[in-house]
Amino acid sequence: MGTFDTSQLLAILPQILLVVLALIVLAADLGTPRGKKRSLGIVTAVGLLIVLIVTLAWPETTEPVFGGALRVDGVGKAFQAIFLLSGLLVALISMDFRPLRQDGAYYAMLLFSVLGMSLMAAAEDLVMLYVAIEIAGISAYVLVGYMREDALSAEAGVKYLLFGAFSSTVMVYGLSLLYGIAGGTGYGRVAAVLLQTPFQLAMVAFLLVLVGFGFKVAMVPMHFWGPDTYQGAPTPITAFISVASKAAGFAVLARALHFLFPALNNDWPALLVAISMVTITLGNLLAVPQRNIKRMLAYSSIAQAGYVLIGITAGGVAGITAVIFYLLVYAVTNIGAFSIVSMVASHIDSDDIQDYAALSRRSPALALAMMVALLSLAGVPPSGGFVGKLFLFAAGIKAGLVPLVVVAVLNVIVALYYYLNVVKVMYTVRSEHEEDAIAVPAPSRLVLVLSVTGVLLLGILAAPCYNVMSNWVTGWFS
Amino acid sequence: MTVHDLLPILTALIPLPTFIAFALIILFFNKWKRVSHSIAIGAMLLAFLMAQVVFWSVIAPDGHELAEHPLHVQIPWLPSGAEALEMGVLIDPLGAFVLFFVSITCLCIFVYSVGYMSEGGKHYDPRYSRFFAYISLFATGMLGLTVADNLLMLFIFWEIMGLCSYLLIGFWWEKNYPDPKQVNPRQAGLKAFMTTRVGDVIMLLGIAYLYSATGTLSFRELLSAETLGILKEMPSYIPGLSAAALAGLLLFGGTVGKSAQFPLHVWLPDAMEGPTPVSAMIHAATMVSAGVYMAVRMFPLLQVGFDIHHGAQLTTPMIVMALIGTFSAFMAATIAVAQDDIKRVLAYSTISQLAYMVAALGIGAYVAAAFHLIAHAFFKALLFLGSGSIIVGSHHEQDMMKMGGLFKRMPVTAITFIVGGLSLSGFPLFFAGFWSKDEILAVAYHAGFNEGIVLAVVVYVFLALGALLTAFYTGRQICLTFLGQPRSDHAAHAHEVSWTVYVPLIALALFAVFFGYIGIPEVFPLLGGEHSNLFHHFVGATLGTETLHQLPHPEQLDLLPFVLSFLISPLGLLAGYLVYGRKPLQAGQPDPLVKALGPLYPVLKNKYYVDELYDAVFIQPAIKLAKWVYKWVDRWFIDGILHNVARGAFGLGHLNRRFDLAVINGGVDRMTDGIKWLAQNGRQVLQTGQVQHYLLQVLFFLCGFGVLYVWGDAILAFIQRLLGI
Repeated sequence: MGTFDTSQLLAILPQILLVVLALIVLAADLGTPRGKKRSLGIVTAVGLLIVLIVTLAWPETTEPVFGGALRVDGVGKAFQAIFLLSGLLVALISMDFRPLRQDGAYYAMLLFSVLGMSLMAAAEDLVMLYVAIEIAGISAYVLVGYMREDALSAEAGVKYLLFGAFSSTVMVYGLSLLYGIAGGTGYGRVAAVLLQTPFQLAMVAFLLVLVGFGFKVAMVPMHFWGPDTYQGAPTPITAFISVASKAAGFAVLARALHFLFPALNNDWPALLVAISMVTITLGNLLAVPQRNIKRMLAYSSIAQAGYVLIGITAGGVAGITAVIFYLLVYAVTNIGAFSIVSMVASHIDSDDIQDYAALSRRSPALALAMMVALLSLAGVPPSGGFVGKLFLFAAGIKAGLVPLVVVAVLNVIVALYYYLNVVKVMYTVRSEHEEDAIAVPAPSRLVLVLSVTGVLLLGILAAPCYNVMSNWVTGWFS
Repeated sequence: MTVHDLLPILTALIPLPTFIAFALIILFFNKWKRVSHSIAIGAMLLAFLMAQVVFWSVIAPDGHELAEHPLHVQIPWLPSGAEALEMGVLIDPLGAFVLFFVSITCLCIFVYSVGYMSEGGKHYDPRYSRFFAYISLFATGMLGLTVADNLLMLFIFWEIMGLCSYLLIGFWWEKNYPDPKQVNPRQAGLKAFMTTRVGDVIMLLGIAYLYSATGTLSFRELLSAETLGILKEMPSYIPGLSAAALAGLLLFGGTVGKSAQFPLHVWLPDAMEGPTPVSAMIHAATMVSAGVYMAVRMFPLLQVGFDIHHGAQLTTPMIVMALIGTFSAFMAATIAVAQDDIKRVLAYSTISQLAYMVAALGIGAYVAAAFHLIAHAFFKALLFLGSGSIIVGSHHEQDMMKMGGLFKRMPVTAITFIVGGLSLSGFPLFFAGFWSKDEILAVAYHAGFNEGIVLAVVVYVFLALGALLTAFYTGRQICLTFLGQPRSDHAAHAHEVSWTVYVPLIALALFAVFFGYIGIPEVFPLLGGEHSNLFHHFVGATLGTETLHQLPHPEQLDLLPFVLSFLISPLGLLAGYLVYGRKPLQAGQPDPLVKALGPLYPVLKNKYYVDELYDAVFIQPAIKLAKWVYKWVDRWFIDGILHNVARGAFGLGHLNRRFDLAVINGGVDRMTDGIKWLAQNGRQVLQTGQVQHYLLQVLFFLCGFGVLYVWGDAILAFIQRLLGI
């Protein structure tokens, strides 16, 4: 264990700034009159932008800090940037979501959740990991049930909480098992001891821990909470959970597979391949019959998680870089899609796909942005989603996961159907409300512009982004 | 960072403004017509300025410096395996000149379109904004193609232009003609798209073949002496043909399609159904030039193995090019003589002039082809825009037989049109067309009679005859249009349209005259001098001497072609004047040619019946085949299989059901009851909405996985023992 000195605090400066920001938001809440609390969203967004810039500008280290509890390396930094970006976009779209009551606690909870996720991305200690997951999780439970008056939201919150508590419990079994085996909590130490541990014991611990991670990622069979929670939660929070929470799950999963369970390197790939196949197929098939766009996107996000699992399973620089690239694209895309869902819901109070009829005539810009987002989710060039999938599949092929990639590619075709179905409804079905344009407030407009340009730029200028990320990832493998 | 370091980046940005204009117009500003054309012209002006900055920065009396160190920048665009797909821009002497003329002609045509599409501001076309969006996208395609540094990028922009061409030819898609045999814009667009597609696919094959043979598509690497040497020695799939020759032939297929050479020329005349600026831009100045440009670009590959000093053996692609070029040039010129539609005459003239370039390449006259390419772009754009001005000015009359006497009514158009016409016919000394055409003829004569290449003799004879015909039909056109008395009410009430129409005409007319002066051969009496042939020194340096065995330029003046060049054009024009100008036609009077040419006239009038031939040989059989395939392969065979599979499945299902009822039912009843009960409580069996069910399922799976992993071997062994394996 290294000794503590104050310079170590600098390594978690972005996280400290997040706490400060949350406190500022809470304090500002007291001084803001009731009708003006929407402006707290701006404070949150600007604050998150600053933290994002600090995070990106901060040099990454390979040295662990706080006695090995955290390591803010390139991969950690990349994931942190994704969480911060998602938080920023979600704060912006939250400002315009009408059913939501605006107050400081909401934005503070959002910030705490981002904080927990940033710590998850860098945690290299069992206790730190657990604490970080809980910080992120508990804030998210509150946010999902934030519209207390709305029965659906409250129900979603409770379900999410129960499922989360349950998977946490199972995960803690696993963590305590690991502690019992190794007599320590640092990843390095546990990994070393696991190499001498009987296979069955290590595998049981791995499976138990995987339940906790799988819950965050929403992979089969830990996906059940997804659709119900997504449907009930306030739409901006749905976007947040579907993107940031999922990415956080992948961050801990990737790190744990690489640093905690190298002893099982020959055993977990088969399991993850199977889970990935089932996750992709189930998510896509169940998305097809959905009539509610939030439920459709929920199942689609389960399928998307399955694609990302290909990169996780493939591993190596190519695999992990592909995961990060895809999650970034996915964050920009999915939040864009949900921001439109949020605006439409604020205006017409419906999430039914058929109520998107003639959106292209009501609000051409919204329909266009939605189409770009959906095509990116479907993986149509020149969107970022296409390039991201290409990287994932290429990493999979290179790692010899050919059957998995074949299944994934076939599923992409299935997915095209339900994404294009929405496009069809927006563009070809007529409706009697065509004159009634949907209002697009300034913050949401900013999110839309960022999302559309992000999706296209990541698709067109894929190589430069990919190279930067791949430089961050190589630290793990050198 | 010096200015010179910034130039490649500036080059890379050239195609961007018009693309942004396209997106802005199509997405946001399509309701405001004036805003749309302002955006389009503003963007084109920006691209024009950037292109001119690049051109004037690199131009020098001697191109060797630029040829060895071209403006070049590239980025890895898509990491694919070990190698990344690279995208980049390249400006060498040839590219610089092409950029120069493309930016000028495009800008002129953009400005002109304002006047044309709004009829001088009086009557805006209903899809005015869309038109500007399309031509902006088109300009992006052409500028991008010009600066591309590899074949793939070139092909991408090539296809963008193909799309725009289709959209713009069919721009007035709702138009129908009473005569069902007359091609309407809808059909013309399709025809152009499908015909060029044939060439494009062949070209794509060539690109793929080159890539598989060399592993690169970058011009610099592909056309290096080393790669060419390998390709020259490498045998292809076809015996007797080197890889270089096969690739060259395939790529030339793209040129044949895009530049409308025989046998894929049929689309260009019908493409005149598009608005006239489109005809000028796409079907005269830029897109059709792209085909020849590509051939000029790839010329080192096409001529690999050609060595003038050792027996002067032309390579297979060169022979093909020379033959196709010569034939197309002569054939199109003859057809043009018998056309009455003012734009169709120009369309056939375009085919004919492009064929001059192709033929020039075929005998190794690389610089002459490039020179004629640019000169032609200027005067042909001028002629098309002039014809557009006539058409709008005389109330959409396109039949020359119904024109006449327009000189007095549209003086600016008339003078500029005549300048363009004289340039096209190669009128001596004063016009760009003379210098460029003369160079091709001079090289052909030199190669044929002094170097002893037999094919070049044929090329020379037919191109010279073609030039005579060109002068004749130009004279005919000018006389029919401008001289005499109006032969219809429309022509009688003709007038100039607006300044946006005739200012571009004047600008282009200047180039149609003066552009020739940078390419005067050194050996030319009086005008020629040591530095007179700037174009040759600059563009000729594009390809290093180690990769290119160009025909040496004639060092001495050959008297016969010199005199002939001087005589051909005036003679042809004079003949045109004698037939049509001296005694102008009266309204309703038939063309004197009908009688003079006798049975030949209908053949020319009907374009050698090539369309009818294609219809009988390709189109009708294709339709018949499609109907047959639909009836027998699809309906009978594939559907039949499906139906039988379905029937089989039903049968199997019935069998299964019996089995099910008899055997399985009893044992599984209880389980199905349980699942049914679950299903009744929720919409789906698994997604019940009840958290406790979810959690139970997770636990169930967890235990399952655990058991499988921990005791998997034991279970397997147990099962094996049970089964007695």
